[in-house]
Amino acid sequence: MTEVSIEKLTKDYGQGPAVNGISIRIAEGEFISLLGPSGCGKTTTLKMIAGFEDATEGAIRFDGRDVVHVPVEKRDIGMVFQNYALFPHMTVEKNLAFGLEMRKISKAEIRERITKVLDMVQLAGYAERYPRQLSGGQQQRVALARALVIEPKILLLDEPLANLDAKLREEMRVFIRDLQRRVGITTVYVTHDQAEAMTMSDRVVVMFGGRIAQIGTPSDIYERPSNLEVAEFVGQVNIIRGKVGSGTISTPFGNLPAAGAYADGTEIMLALRPEAVELLPVNSGTSGVPAKVRSSYYSGSLVDYRLDLADGATVNVQTFPRTRFADGDEVLIHAPVDRFWPLGPIRGTEA
Amino acid sequence: MNVAAKKRFGPLLLIAPAAILIGVFLVLPYLNIVVMSFRMPGQGTPYGPGFTLVNYGKFFSDIFYIQQVANTLWIGFVTTLACLILGYPVAWQLARGNSAFRAMGYGLVLSPLLVGIVIRSYGWTILLGNNGLINRTLMGWGIIDGPLPLMYNALGIVIALVHVFLPFMILPIMSAIQGIDPSLEAAARSLGASKATAFRRITLPLSLPGIQAGSILVFVLSLSAYVTPSLIGGLRVKTMAVTVVDALIDTFQWPFGSALALMLSVTGAIVVVVFGRLTVMKWKA
Repeated sequence: MTEVSIEKLTKDYGQGPAVNGISIRIAEGEFISLLGPSGCGKTTTLKMIAGFEDATEGAIRFDGRDVVHVPVEKRDIGMVFQNYALFPHMTVEKNLAFGLEMRKISKAEIRERITKVLDMVQLAGYAERYPRQLSGGQQQRVALARALVIEPKILLLDEPLANLDAKLREEMRVFIRDLQRRVGITTVYVTHDQAEAMTMSDRVVVMFGGRIAQIGTPSDIYERPSNLEVAEFVGQVNIIRGKVGSGTISTPFGNLPAAGAYADGTEIMLALRPEAVELLPVNSGTSGVPAKVRSSYYSGSLVDYRLDLADGATVNVQTFPRTRFADGDEVLIHAPVDRFWPLGPIRGTEA
Repeated sequence: MNVAAKKRFGPLLLIAPAAILIGVFLVLPYLNIVVMSFRMPGQGTPYGPGFTLVNYGKFFSDIFYIQQVANTLWIGFVTTLACLILGYPVAWQLARGNSAFRAMGYGLVLSPLLVGIVIRSYGWTILLGNNGLINRTLMGWGIIDGPLPLMYNALGIVIALVHVFLPFMILPIMSAIQGIDPSLEAAARSLGASKATAFRRITLPLSLPGIQAGSILVFVLSLSAYVTPSLIGGLRVKTMAVTVVDALIDTFQWPFGSALALMLSVTGAIVVVVFGRLTVMKWKA
């Protein structure tokens, strides 16, 4: 098991930094995701960890040893590529043996390890197949097995599920996560899919424009986003305006206890997740903010509502379909005060 | 024509022009050569009455002709090998290099084809001759005392043929390499292979179909090349194609010339088929 430490890592292709001085400490056996839109620097970071790209500045340490000048083949990494990159002219067995042959491991041990790893990825009996004779999911598992069979220091995955259909993708999420836990290997996973990052990772690194916007557990990222960009990238969010004044923040949902150090008179943005609130009938007798259902979208396990508030603002709400409201219904929105998360002042309103 | 008939004959009508062109101007003349090779030698006429094997007998009984076929095959082999060795790195660069180089490189690779073959061959005589640019330069620098024999021999022919046929080697290999996902090499590197090993174990075997296609093209073109061998080889070194033309045009021996042409075609075809079989087996292994 290996601890990976990335220190002030920068990559500049000559048109401004693609990765701009990022630092991440990855604990032994940790599963960490680099999450962000395309062009945010997540793939470049992974390539630098792998050794396919030189770092312009900064250090990458495996267990304290700087590997920046170590070539790819000497870094002892296992990598899974987006398109699997299985060798088409080799059988599954030959694909798996490749890395072991490079390590000059004896034929007997190679055979033994291949049998073991094929069992692990549930592909026993597929050793003689060529990659083209396998389904997408099976190819994916061979790619994982090929990366793991060499028992590398770290496992790097570059959007490995992007080419699979939705159902298989969800299965593979669980499969990869379970496998990683069992093997206990330090893992860096690159994805632009927030659901993937959230369900699989111990911690998520959210990146925008070559910088880290936030590092945290999936619930940190979702419930306590560091800024508006993170809040909007990770799931749906309602941005509620509030005005700070004498110890409280006044919002359309009532007064909230002031959080953070904002001067009186500052207008701030608050994040409110669509499923964080409850919808109640107007005559339910409880407190709530009155709203009118503009439209609703039923998706089986959940219903999405677009609601108009009295002041004209729109709020998205997601609830279980136990109680259904029709378009045009008057409802009450009940939002617990602790579900509002301050995202900072609205520019130009700082008092 | 009703709809059913249109469906049936439509495709046939579309290929008819090409089929007629090839049939009349290629297949029929070839068949004529085959028939001609069994004719009696003529006296003042292209061929005599009746059929005979005497032309083939003349070929097999004269070591001169068999040697000439062997020479031609050898020149074809060396030309192909030289094109492969010189062409592969260029093909790789064209397939994987940066785009600025690619556009320019593509133009350079195709440039030999832009100049007529006669002009190009005369160009080589200017460079390769005893009084040519290369020999005069080398003698001028005092590197050699007398001119190197670069012309009127197999070496000169190979040099000129390599120049002409290099594009036919480069283009198929380039397209084969372009079809190889670069992430395969990256995967090999990540598994512990050096750049050289990744090339040898992954890129090279996967580009074999391109090597095969390019080699067959260059080999066949070399065997049938006429203008370049006749200008550069002169009277001293003759390839089969030159001898065939001599027999047909200079000495007017149509039946014997036809037999020579067929022997060249058959030996060439055998080499190509054997080579194809061998490389296909290698590809599967």
